[in-house]
Amino acid sequence: MLKYILKRLALSVLILLGVSLIIYVLIRCMPVDFVTQKLSSITTTGAETSQELIDAMMRTYGLDTNIFEGYISWLGKLLRLDFGESFKYGIPVIDVIKDHMGVSFAVAAIATVFEFLIAIPLGITAATHQYSARDYIVTVLVMIGISLPSFFFGQLLKNIFAIQLEWFPASGLIDASKDLSGFSLLLDQMWHLFIPILTVVILSIGGRMRMTRTNMLEVLNSDYIRTARAKGLKEKVVIYKHAFRNTMIPLVTSLAGLLPGLFSGAIITEQVFGLPGIGNKAFEAMLVADIPFIMGYNMFLALLSVIGVLLADLMYAVVDPRVKLE
Amino acid sequence: MMENNNLNIEAVENEAIAEAAEEEVTHEQTLKLMSPMQMVIRRFFRSKLSIIGLVMVVSLFLFCWVGPLFYQVSPTEIDKDGKTEYTTKWVEYEDENGNIQGFYQVIETQLTDNMLSEPSGKHPLGTDKTGKDVLARLMNGGKISLTISFMAVFIVTFLGIIFGGLAGYFGGVVDNVIMRICDILMCLPGFPILLIVGTIIDGLREGGMAMFDYQYKIYWLMGFLTLISWSGTARLVRGQILSLREQEYMVAAEAMGYSTGRKIFKHLVPNVMPQLIVSMTLSLGSMILYEASLSYLGLGAPEQYAAWGTMINAAKDPDILSNYFNVWGPPGICIIIAVLGFNFVGDGLRDALDPKMRR
Repeated sequence: MLKYILKRLALSVLILLGVSLIIYVLIRCMPVDFVTQKLSSITTTGAETSQELIDAMMRTYGLDTNIFEGYISWLGKLLRLDFGESFKYGIPVIDVIKDHMGVSFAVAAIATVFEFLIAIPLGITAATHQYSARDYIVTVLVMIGISLPSFFFGQLLKNIFAIQLEWFPASGLIDASKDLSGFSLLLDQMWHLFIPILTVVILSIGGRMRMTRTNMLEVLNSDYIRTARAKGLKEKVVIYKHAFRNTMIPLVTSLAGLLPGLFSGAIITEQVFGLPGIGNKAFEAMLVADIPFIMGYNMFLALLSVIGVLLADLMYAVVDPRVKLE
Repeated sequence: MMENNNLNIEAVENEAIAEAAEEEVTHEQTLKLMSPMQMVIRRFFRSKLSIIGLVMVVSLFLFCWVGPLFYQVSPTEIDKDGKTEYTTKWVEYEDENGNIQGFYQVIETQLTDNMLSEPSGKHPLGTDKTGKDVLARLMNGGKISLTISFMAVFIVTFLGIIFGGLAGYFGGVVDNVIMRICDILMCLPGFPILLIVGTIIDGLREGGMAMFDYQYKIYWLMGFLTLISWSGTARLVRGQILSLREQEYMVAAEAMGYSTGRKIFKHLVPNVMPQLIVSMTLSLGSMILYEASLSYLGLGAPEQYAAWGTMINAAKDPDILSNYFNVWGPPGICIIIAVLGFNFVGDGLRDALDPKMRR
């Protein structure tokens, strides 16, 4: 077991190196670099720029090197756990991520909880009433949910509930007209996040529900369920005590796969609702070629997905004793 | 008497034979021999949802490709018919007695372009904010969206079959290398990468390369997306081939002295096809969503060559969002119909192709 984990960790380092190299090369291929953009904004105000100034700025931002040297120096800093300073925001990358993670995490975490709470019971009823009207109705409804483009559905909800009915604020996280603090501030923020969370939940129920349904059907067709019924157990006991426990295995392991999604922030949902989340910040940084931040953000995501995959495999072995890791 | 009896027996026997023969005939009539393919088709059409899905997909295709033959309005032409806009204003003044009086002043503005017109006989879905016909753009956008997603899915599947097939068949070092590449690709965050690639393409265009012209940008982007998203298909193919290559018929193929290419692509891959077809159909839907999201972020086709996602992009303007559903609603509904249709068909195919799901 320990050997297996160590081997996987070593592989993860290799994967992360590959990912970082690809992203770094792509960013350095971008036609706009931060210095040129910054200088063009200076020249529009009428100030003069000289070649010395450009060279000096290139040096300060570390853009005077070629791609390979740049990558090595970035990697060297990373080994000292230094992600560098964001060009655009002017503060360390870690701090930018920390400051804006909260909103994204809140949306994703609350949405995930509701997703599981709604999707699992739906999946179970659909499976136990297979091919009935109930199964068809639930399936069709969640399929519509999967098929909705997030920006379209978000805009639709925003239009109905925020603009036409004016029940909820249309965008942002903080109401500038009110001076709130403490608990009422938190409540107000939750109020702002209601429609974004609703959007995410409706879009994501489908996948989870179909997963539950498929697994439940598989379990319900197995021999030990027939035995349980033959013993004369009540249907409720058969389903919730005997069948559901085995349905849980893939559901629990899929939790680990959610790890990167919890922290990455939803770029599009945050755009639609104007939330100051990490996805939105990354989008803005991407447009101005803010190398340290883009690298830091993407490596953070890649690290989370590597950990997520590893955790999923480990959890499989923990939850299901039949699985042996080699 | 004896003879008579004998005759009788014979007659009875004859009758029995005739009856048996008749029965055979009726059996042949009622029992139809079906090939596996026919059985799949039959099971597919037994499910109502897959029929609905098929109808949705087919009607969208007819709408986008046959529709323009009947509705001959250019999607890029601006309606120059002009439009008269009335704005009313409450004006107050003081009359000679000192009382405040008021009246409504109506201001008439003549616009040269027929912008944001209401749905009418001439423009069944109205016009957008530059005065182009929404229905014509919807058909044209559908062509772009559907073509792009089909191409993307085919390329992904092709790459997946090649790499997955090689990894699964050869194992060892080849397998290890390909699977590590898969791991790396799986950890690449999709949207951020495509945003970066989008600006690189912009730079190449400004560098004067005509092949990176604005209207082809979304094709290049989706092409790049296929390069980083074949890992799922490759894993599927590899997993199947790993179990298939141990079966007896592969030993037979070995004994026949077939070439490696023939063994992989003629004997192993066709057995993976059922799963592949299902995953292709399901990923058609997600490709349409991906393309639409890219267009929404402003990376897609530009205004005049708008795909569905670009058309919804117009709703970023709060005025259009709240007042002109006819501009951004229809493309959204089209996307939903397309994705839902592909999902239903994919689900139906999965049930029809899976021998365990027989009922």
